Amino acid sequence: MKRFTAVAGTVLSGLLILWSALPLPAQAQQEPIKIGVIYGLGGAAAPYTKPAITGHELAVDEINAKGGLLGRKLQLVIRDDQSKPDVGIREARDLILKEKVDFLMGVIHSGVALGISEVAKEYKKLYLNTIAKTAALTEEKGHRYVFRSASNTAIEGRAAAILMADKPFKRYAVIGPDYEYGHRMVDDFIGHLKTLKPGVQVVAEAWPKFGERDFTAHVNALLQAKPDMVYSSLWGGDAIAFVKQAKPYGFFTKTQYMNIAAADLDVVVPLGAETPEGIWGSSNYAFYHPDTPANREFVAKYKAKANDLPPAGAFFGYVGTYFLAEAIRKAKSADTEKVIDALEGLTIETPIGPLTMRAYDHQATKGQYWGRLKRVPEFPFPIMGDVQLIGGEKTLRPVDEIKALRGAK
Amino acid sequence: MPDLSAFADPGFLAVQCLNGLTQAMFLFLIASGLSLIFGVLGVLNFAHGSLYMLGAYLSYTIASWFVGSPATFWVALVLGSIGVALVGGIIESVFLRPVYRREELEQLLVTYALVLIISDLVKLAWGAENRSGSRPALLAGSVDIAGRDFPTYNLFVLAVGPLVALGLWLLLRRTQFGRLVRAAANDREMVGVVGVNVKGLFTGVFMLGAWLGGLGGGLAAPIGAIFPGMDVEIIVESFIVVVVGGMGSLGGTLLGALIIGQLNAFGILFFPRFAIVFVYVLMAVVLVIRPWGLLGRPVTRG
Repeated sequence: MKRFTAVAGTVLSGLLILWSALPLPAQAQQEPIKIGVIYGLGGAAAPYTKPAITGHELAVDEINAKGGLLGRKLQLVIRDDQSKPDVGIREARDLILKEKVDFLMGVIHSGVALGISEVAKEYKKLYLNTIAKTAALTEEKGHRYVFRSASNTAIEGRAAAILMADKPFKRYAVIGPDYEYGHRMVDDFIGHLKTLKPGVQVVAEAWPKFGERDFTAHVNALLQAKPDMVYSSLWGGDAIAFVKQAKPYGFFTKTQYMNIAAADLDVVVPLGAETPEGIWGSSNYAFYHPDTPANREFVAKYKAKANDLPPAGAFFGYVGTYFLAEAIRKAKSADTEKVIDALEGLTIETPIGPLTMRAYDHQATKGQYWGRLKRVPEFPFPIMGDVQLIGGEKTLRPVDEIKALRGAK
Repeated sequence: MPDLSAFADPGFLAVQCLNGLTQAMFLFLIASGLSLIFGVLGVLNFAHGSLYMLGAYLSYTIASWFVGSPATFWVALVLGSIGVALVGGIIESVFLRPVYRREELEQLLVTYALVLIISDLVKLAWGAENRSGSRPALLAGSVDIAGRDFPTYNLFVLAVGPLVALGLWLLLRRTQFGRLVRAAANDREMVGVVGVNVKGLFTGVFMLGAWLGGLGGGLAAPIGAIFPGMDVEIIVESFIVVVVGGMGSLGGTLLGALIIGQLNAFGILFFPRFAIVFVYVLMAVVLVIRPWGLLGRPVTRG
């Protein structure tokens, strides 16, 4: 009898151990799907990343209110990379190893994004970039584990070139912040424009540092070259300071000006009535275009949550979250490899219409909005007139070219 | 690559030279505060850029209270910079006074902590969005310089810079306060021994330095972006100006600012792709040839 008790005890405790090691279906369902979200939360990045986080939260709130995904809630774990690659890499590792997140999202700084992409590859975690633009991330440095729901420098440069291909301007001057993003935006614009419109010349270039306070020497030098059009890849505070300082030099009457960020809310709102009318401005997202029920609904939802109009960052955070969520739904699993397969070629509905994640390079078909800025009675800041969406496949760098870039590496 | 035909155009050269001068005046106004505080108090104030940022934000906010009045800009500039001076007074008496006798590294840590604190407070008070002020109607236009447009506002800055330089010179050379300040810069113990209120003197000097930084911020507010990261760039630039000119020498700060202004204005014509490096090269050259700066004095610290 004693022996029987001992045996039974051993068997029972063995069973208990086995049982506890097995995943409990009921328990697993309650565990949230954790998403690590990394952004530079201070400095010049803040006007983009603060609304981006609100965008992520808005999407997660909506999804969780409908019962979450696969019966699990979504949970965001937000970290600050201070716009420094080493900090971003450290935070990404920490999120993967300590927080045990299932996915990584976010990042505005191109250098940080490239760093985190390498971490994602090393640990085989899916990283969906939401704002950082360097084309390298999905082109020559692309791999299975990195995706981008935002546009990239190739898309934005090519879109601007397509816009200008049928315009009469021949003599171009360029100005951009002197780092990866600023240079790529200019190179992709000029490169594509020269193929679309042979005979275009670059007559002057200016490379102020990012965060420059004084653009006046550049303004005078650009004007001296007598360009027909000045193409600018300045953004944020730089885009504001340049316009303010250039205006009294008669800059905007002496030459045409196009700026990839001039229609962003964080630029036009502070510029307000001082914005020169007729300059060519672009934005990644505009709350007033397209004027569709889907976009109006997004604007209303964002306003209700943040008590403000949604800037581009808000759209990026929101749409990035939905790309990931729809892929999880389609994969019927939160397993990284299955979600990657589901995300490749996935098309989702967004506030601005359908967007597709191209299967080859994991780059979304997110186009660019352009228009000439004009004042309107409804808002204290100018908006794009006759907004044009330049998007879809033609703005993406062709797959063959990317293959060549990756091969050449 | 450089288009040297621009150098045959006197109008272009005149405007480019004025652009360099305007930049120099901004640099001088801001860096002189840093230099003054270092020269007298012996503290390298990392938070000087934060005071500049605070000057921009305060001027912006005060201007928004008086929208529509022609005096908006002037009231904002005066009150904003005075507000920064008051903040400077609090910083000096609460945070710096206890660490004067400590090692320089500890003083640096205190001022660095202030950078982080002020940065967060600014974000709490004003949010993360970009903002920008407005030029007064009087200075919003441009004047004709050799057939070219030149901003009236920049002419105004070109006048403010020398006025402030002259004022500082008179204050330090011709007043009792100035004599005490110079004496304290040489030997603060001795000044204390002869019965001078050194604590009050130091607070006064720090407030003056803070006021200069705040004034620079207030002047920059209408022609640039005001955002939570604007403190970082300016402290680096001011530091370079002070190092080139000579730590603690106001004349050196002025000379350093003038050289850097022209170097930036004309350097970009030759090497547009290297606009960022000119000042660093200059600083490196000065540090090799005259490690104590152009007008500084070699100091042996104990």
